[in-house]
Amino acid sequence: MILNIAGLNVKITPRYEVLASRISNEYIAPDSAKPDFSINIIPGYLEQKQKENPHLTLAECEYIWSGEAVFASMLDFGGFMLHSSAVALDGQAYLFSARSGTGKSTHTHLWLDCFGAERAKIINDDKPLLRLIDGKFYAFGSPWSGKTDENLNIKVPVKAIAFLERSQTNSIERIPSLAALPLVLNQTVRPLGEERMSCLLSLLDRLLSDIPVYRLKCDMSHEAVETSYNMMSERNESR
Amino acid sequence: MKIKPGYVLREVAGSIVVVPIGEATLNLNGMITLNETSKMLWKLLEAGADEDSLTAAVLNEYDIDESTARADVKAFIKKLEDRKIIG
Repeated sequence: MILNIAGLNVKITPRYEVLASRISNEYIAPDSAKPDFSINIIPGYLEQKQKENPHLTLAECEYIWSGEAVFASMLDFGGFMLHSSAVALDGQAYLFSARSGTGKSTHTHLWLDCFGAERAKIINDDKPLLRLIDGKFYAFGSPWSGKTDENLNIKVPVKAIAFLERSQTNSIERIPSLAALPLVLNQTVRPLGEERMSCLLSLLDRLLSDIPVYRLKCDMSHEAVETSYNMMSERNESR
Repeated sequence: MKIKPGYVLREVAGSIVVVPIGEATLNLNGMITLNETSKMLWKLLEAGADEDSLTAAVLNEYDIDESTARADVKAFIKKLEDRKIIG
Protein backbone atom coordinates (compact mmCIF):
# COMPACT_ATOMS: atom_id res chain seq x y z
CA MET A 1 0.00 0.00 0.00
CA ILE A 2 1.02 3.64 -0.44
CA LEU A 3 0.82 5.94 2.56
CA ASN A 4 0.94 9.69 2.68
CA ILE A 5 3.34 10.52 5.51
CA ALA A 6 4.58 14.06 6.15
CA GLY A 7 3.70 15.04 2.59
CA LEU A 8 5.55 12.10 1.05
CA ASN A 9 4.34 8.89 -0.56
CA VAL A 10 5.70 5.88 1.26
CA LYS A 11 5.33 2.35 -0.02
CA ILE A 12 4.88 -0.19 2.75
CA THR A 13 3.51 -3.72 2.92
CA PRO A 14 2.31 -4.59 6.42
CA ARG A 15 2.70 -8.26 7.31
CA TYR A 16 0.72 -8.14 10.53
CA GLU A 17 -2.56 -6.74 11.76
CA VAL A 18 -1.05 -4.45 14.43
CA LEU A 19 0.60 -2.14 11.89
CA ALA A 20 -2.31 -2.34 9.45
CA SER A 21 -4.84 -1.52 12.19
CA ARG A 22 -2.95 1.59 13.30
CA ILE A 23 -2.94 3.16 9.85
CA SER A 24 -6.07 5.27 9.71
CA ASN A 25 -7.68 6.06 6.37
CA GLU A 26 -6.43 9.62 6.27
CA TYR A 27 -2.91 8.27 5.58
CA ILE A 28 -3.83 5.94 2.74
CA ALA A 29 -2.90 7.26 -0.71
CA PRO A 30 -4.22 5.84 -3.96
CA ASP A 31 -2.32 2.81 -5.25
CA SER A 32 -1.45 4.83 -8.34
CA ALA A 33 0.56 7.34 -6.27
CA LYS A 34 4.25 7.35 -7.11
CA PRO A 35 6.28 6.45 -4.00
CA ASP A 36 9.00 8.85 -2.80
CA PHE A 37 10.54 5.92 -0.93
CA SER A 38 9.76 2.36 0.11
CA ILE A 39 10.06 0.58 3.42
CA ASN A 40 11.43 -2.90 2.99
CA ILE A 41 12.04 -4.80 6.18
CA ILE A 42 14.53 -7.52 5.38
CA PRO A 43 13.49 -11.08 6.29
CA GLY A 44 14.73 -12.05 9.72
CA TYR A 45 15.06 -8.47 10.98
CA LEU A 46 11.82 -8.45 12.99
CA GLU A 47 12.59 -11.92 14.33
CA GLN A 48 15.96 -10.56 15.52
CA LYS A 49 14.30 -7.53 17.15
CA GLN A 50 11.77 -9.75 18.86
CA LYS A 51 14.53 -11.93 20.27
CA GLU A 52 16.16 -8.78 21.69
CA ASN A 53 12.80 -7.57 23.07
CA PRO A 54 10.97 -10.69 24.24
CA HIS A 55 8.16 -8.63 25.81
CA LEU A 56 7.04 -7.61 22.30
CA THR A 57 5.22 -9.71 19.72
CA LEU A 58 6.46 -9.92 16.13
CA ALA A 59 3.51 -7.80 15.08
CA GLU A 60 4.39 -5.11 17.63
CA CYS A 61 7.99 -5.23 16.44
CA GLU A 62 6.79 -4.58 12.91
CA TYR A 63 4.83 -1.53 14.06
CA ILE A 64 7.77 -0.07 16.00
CA TRP A 65 10.56 -0.74 13.52
CA SER A 66 8.61 0.17 10.40
CA GLY A 67 8.21 3.54 12.11
CA GLU A 68 11.94 3.79 12.76
CA ALA A 69 12.59 2.97 9.11
CA VAL A 70 10.23 5.75 8.02
CA PHE A 71 11.86 8.23 10.44
CA ALA A 72 15.32 7.33 9.15
CA SER A 73 14.27 7.79 5.51
CA MET A 74 12.80 11.22 6.30
CA LEU A 75 16.35 12.55 6.59
CA ASP A 76 16.61 12.36 2.78
CA PHE A 77 13.68 14.79 2.64
CA GLY A 78 14.76 17.25 5.33
CA GLY A 79 12.83 15.48 8.05
CA PHE A 80 13.32 13.81 11.41
CA MET A 81 11.29 12.56 14.36
CA LEU A 82 11.28 14.35 17.70
CA HIS A 83 10.07 12.25 20.63
CA SER A 84 7.44 14.65 21.89
CA SER A 85 3.76 15.39 22.16
CA ALA A 86 2.83 17.93 19.50
CA VAL A 87 -0.24 20.13 19.83
CA ALA A 88 -1.62 22.49 17.20
CA LEU A 89 -3.15 25.69 18.52
CA ASP A 90 -4.62 28.31 16.19
CA GLY A 91 -2.71 26.73 13.32
CA GLN A 92 0.72 26.65 14.95
CA ALA A 93 2.55 23.65 16.35
CA TYR A 94 3.95 23.49 19.89
CA LEU A 95 6.09 20.47 20.72
CA PHE A 96 6.73 19.18 24.24
CA SER A 97 9.60 16.74 24.50
CA ALA A 98 10.84 14.65 27.40
CA ARG A 99 11.76 11.13 28.35
CA SER A 100 8.83 8.73 28.53
CA GLY A 101 6.85 9.06 31.74
CA THR A 102 7.65 12.72 32.38
CA GLY A 103 4.22 14.01 31.44
CA LYS A 104 4.51 15.53 27.96
CA SER A 105 1.21 14.02 26.90
CA THR A 106 -0.42 15.14 30.15
CA HIS A 107 0.72 18.68 29.40
CA THR A 108 -0.59 18.82 25.81
CA HIS A 109 -3.92 17.37 26.99
CA LEU A 110 -4.11 20.22 29.50
CA TRP A 111 -3.81 22.51 26.47
CA LEU A 112 -6.84 20.78 24.93
CA ASP A 113 -8.74 21.32 28.21
CA CYS A 114 -7.85 24.99 28.39
CA PHE A 115 -8.31 25.99 24.76
CA GLY A 116 -11.00 23.54 23.64
CA ALA A 117 -11.25 21.25 20.64
CA GLU A 118 -12.11 24.12 18.27
CA ARG A 119 -8.70 25.73 18.71
CA ALA A 120 -6.41 22.91 19.85
CA LYS A 121 -5.71 19.40 18.62
CA ILE A 122 -3.03 16.77 19.06
CA ILE A 123 -0.90 16.41 15.91
CA ASN A 124 0.93 13.39 17.28
CA ASP A 125 1.04 12.36 20.92
CA ASP A 126 4.50 10.77 20.92
CA LYS A 127 6.49 10.82 17.68
CA PRO A 128 5.69 13.76 15.39
CA LEU A 129 7.76 14.28 12.28
CA LEU A 130 9.38 17.62 11.54
CA ARG A 131 10.27 18.61 8.00
CA LEU A 132 11.99 21.62 6.52
CA ILE A 133 9.97 22.55 3.44
CA ASP A 134 10.71 25.69 1.39
CA GLY A 135 12.68 27.16 4.27
CA LYS A 136 10.11 26.51 7.01
CA PHE A 137 9.75 23.78 9.62
CA TYR A 138 6.44 21.92 9.77
CA ALA A 139 5.18 19.30 12.21
CA PHE A 140 3.26 16.31 10.88
CA GLY A 141 1.34 13.46 12.45
CA SER A 142 1.94 9.87 11.39
CA PRO A 143 0.51 6.45 12.27
CA TRP A 144 3.42 6.04 14.69
CA SER A 145 2.33 7.79 17.86
CA GLY A 146 3.36 5.52 20.73
CA LYS A 147 0.75 3.92 22.97
CA THR A 148 -2.27 5.82 21.69
CA ASP A 149 -3.69 6.50 18.24
CA GLU A 150 -3.72 10.24 18.75
CA ASN A 151 -2.33 11.45 15.46
CA LEU A 152 -3.61 13.44 12.52
CA ASN A 153 -2.38 13.68 8.97
CA ILE A 154 -1.94 17.43 9.10
CA LYS A 155 0.89 19.86 8.36
CA VAL A 156 1.36 22.65 10.89
CA PRO A 157 4.15 25.27 11.01
CA VAL A 158 6.34 24.82 14.08
CA LYS A 159 6.17 27.71 16.54
CA ALA A 160 8.26 26.44 19.47
CA ILE A 161 9.71 23.41 21.22
CA ALA A 162 9.90 22.87 24.98
CA PHE A 163 11.77 20.26 26.99
CA LEU A 164 9.59 19.41 29.90
CA GLU A 165 10.56 18.65 33.47
CA ARG A 166 8.24 17.91 36.34
CA SER A 167 8.25 20.44 39.17
CA GLN A 168 6.16 21.73 42.08
CA THR A 169 6.12 25.19 40.55
CA ASN A 170 5.72 26.46 37.00
CA SER A 171 8.49 28.26 35.15
CA ILE A 172 9.88 28.49 31.65
CA GLU A 173 13.16 29.76 30.23
CA ARG A 174 14.77 29.92 26.83
CA ILE A 175 17.55 27.38 26.16
CA PRO A 176 20.49 28.65 24.08
CA SER A 177 20.83 26.82 20.75
CA LEU A 178 24.03 25.01 21.64
CA ALA A 179 22.62 23.71 24.93
CA ALA A 180 19.48 22.57 23.12
CA LEU A 181 21.39 20.39 20.65
CA PRO A 182 22.13 17.43 22.98
CA LEU A 183 18.54 17.56 24.27
CA VAL A 184 17.21 17.18 20.72
CA LEU A 185 19.77 14.47 19.89
CA ASN A 186 18.67 12.48 22.93
CA GLN A 187 15.03 12.55 21.85
CA THR A 188 15.41 11.47 18.24
CA VAL A 189 16.73 8.37 16.53
CA ARG A 190 20.46 8.89 16.08
CA PRO A 191 21.36 7.92 12.54
CA LEU A 192 24.10 5.39 11.95
CA GLY A 193 26.94 6.41 9.70
CA GLU A 194 28.89 9.65 9.57
CA GLU A 195 27.21 11.00 6.47
CA ARG A 196 23.69 10.56 7.88
CA MET A 197 24.68 12.10 11.21
CA SER A 198 26.25 15.02 9.37
CA CYS A 199 23.02 15.46 7.45
CA LEU A 200 20.96 15.45 10.68
CA LEU A 201 23.31 17.99 12.26
CA SER A 202 22.86 20.39 9.32
CA LEU A 203 19.12 20.09 9.71
CA LEU A 204 19.32 20.68 13.47
CA ASP A 205 21.62 23.66 12.93
CA ARG A 206 18.83 25.18 10.89
CA LEU A 207 16.12 24.14 13.36
CA LEU A 208 17.94 25.69 16.31
CA SER A 209 18.49 28.95 14.50
CA ASP A 210 14.84 29.20 13.39
CA ILE A 211 12.81 27.72 16.23
CA PRO A 212 13.00 28.84 19.88
CA VAL A 213 13.63 26.06 22.40
CA TYR A 214 12.58 26.30 26.05
CA ARG A 215 12.96 24.45 29.33
CA LEU A 216 9.55 24.12 30.93
CA LYS A 217 9.28 23.12 34.56
CA CYS A 218 5.67 22.39 35.34
CA ASP A 219 3.04 20.66 37.42
CA MET A 220 -0.27 19.33 36.10
CA SER A 221 -2.40 22.45 36.60
CA HIS A 222 -3.94 24.92 34.18
CA GLU A 223 -1.38 27.41 35.45
CA ALA A 224 1.25 25.20 33.77
CA VAL A 225 -0.49 25.84 30.44
CA GLU A 226 -0.58 29.56 31.09
CA THR A 227 3.18 29.46 31.77
CA SER A 228 4.07 27.54 28.60
CA TYR A 229 1.56 29.22 26.30
CA ASN A 230 2.38 32.81 27.29
CA MET A 231 6.08 32.34 26.64
CA MET A 232 6.00 30.01 23.65
CA SER A 233 3.32 31.89 21.73
CA GLU A 234 5.27 35.12 22.40
CA ARG A 235 1.95 36.63 23.37
CA ASN A 236 3.67 38.79 25.99
CA GLU A 237 6.57 39.73 23.76
CA SER A 238 5.86 43.43 23.72
CA ARG A 239 4.61 43.94 27.25
CA MET B 1 47.34 8.26 19.25
CA LYS B 2 44.29 8.36 17.08
CA ILE B 3 40.61 9.27 17.40
CA LYS B 4 38.52 6.09 17.36
CA PRO B 5 35.97 5.79 14.58
CA GLY B 6 32.39 6.92 15.15
CA TYR B 7 32.57 10.67 15.76
CA VAL B 8 31.30 13.50 13.60
CA LEU B 9 32.79 16.99 13.95
CA ARG B 10 30.58 19.78 12.71
CA GLU B 11 29.61 23.38 13.24
CA VAL B 12 26.18 23.69 14.82
CA ALA B 13 24.63 26.76 16.40
CA GLY B 14 27.83 28.70 15.78
CA SER B 15 29.98 26.26 17.76
CA ILE B 16 32.21 23.34 16.87
CA VAL B 17 30.69 20.16 18.22
CA VAL B 18 31.65 16.51 18.19
CA VAL B 19 28.77 14.08 18.19
CA PRO B 20 29.17 10.33 18.58
CA ILE B 21 27.43 7.84 16.33
CA GLY B 22 26.70 4.17 16.81
CA GLU B 23 28.65 2.42 19.54
CA ALA B 24 30.68 5.53 20.35
CA THR B 25 27.49 6.96 21.87
CA LEU B 26 28.07 4.80 24.93
CA ASN B 27 31.29 6.64 25.74
CA LEU B 28 29.99 10.14 25.36
CA ASN B 29 26.72 11.33 26.75
CA GLY B 30 25.40 13.76 24.20
CA MET B 31 28.29 15.67 22.67
CA ILE B 32 31.37 17.78 23.31
CA THR B 33 32.17 21.27 22.12
CA LEU B 34 35.58 22.32 20.86
CA ASN B 35 37.30 25.69 20.48
CA GLU B 36 39.52 26.54 17.50
CA THR B 37 42.65 25.09 19.14
CA SER B 38 41.05 21.83 20.18
CA LYS B 39 39.45 21.57 16.74
CA MET B 40 42.93 21.73 15.21
CA LEU B 41 44.17 19.08 17.65
CA TRP B 42 41.13 16.90 16.93
CA LYS B 43 41.76 17.09 13.19
CA LEU B 44 45.39 16.06 13.70
CA LEU B 45 44.36 13.23 16.00
CA GLU B 46 41.91 11.96 13.40
CA ALA B 47 44.90 11.28 11.20
CA GLY B 48 47.01 10.08 14.13
CA ALA B 49 49.51 12.23 16.05
CA ASP B 50 51.71 12.19 19.17
CA GLU B 51 52.17 14.73 21.96
CA ASP B 52 55.26 16.25 20.35
CA SER B 53 53.68 16.85 16.96
CA LEU B 54 50.54 18.30 18.56
CA THR B 55 52.64 20.65 20.71
CA ALA B 56 54.56 21.73 17.60
CA ALA B 57 51.28 22.44 15.80
CA VAL B 58 50.04 24.62 18.68
CA LEU B 59 53.36 26.53 18.79
CA ASN B 60 53.16 27.08 15.08
CA GLU B 61 49.66 28.55 15.37
CA TYR B 62 49.85 30.58 18.60
CA ASP B 63 52.34 32.91 20.18
CA ILE B 64 52.86 30.99 23.45
CA ASP B 65 55.81 29.27 25.12
CA GLU B 66 56.44 25.58 24.76
CA SER B 67 55.60 24.55 28.32
CA THR B 68 52.16 26.23 28.08
CA ALA B 69 51.50 24.61 24.69
CA ARG B 70 52.53 21.19 25.99
CA ALA B 71 50.37 21.57 29.11
CA ASP B 72 47.36 22.45 26.92
CA VAL B 73 47.98 19.47 24.67
CA LYS B 74 48.35 17.14 27.67
CA ALA B 75 45.11 18.40 29.18
CA PHE B 76 43.24 17.85 25.91
CA ILE B 77 44.67 14.35 25.47
CA LYS B 78 43.73 13.48 29.06
CA LYS B 79 40.17 14.65 28.41
CA LEU B 80 39.92 12.42 25.33
CA GLU B 81 41.50 9.47 27.14
CA ASP B 82 39.10 9.81 30.08
CA ARG B 83 36.21 9.60 27.64
CA LYS B 84 37.87 6.74 25.77
CA ILE B 85 37.78 8.71 22.53
CA ILE B 86 41.40 8.04 21.61
CA GLY B 87 43.28 4.80 21.64
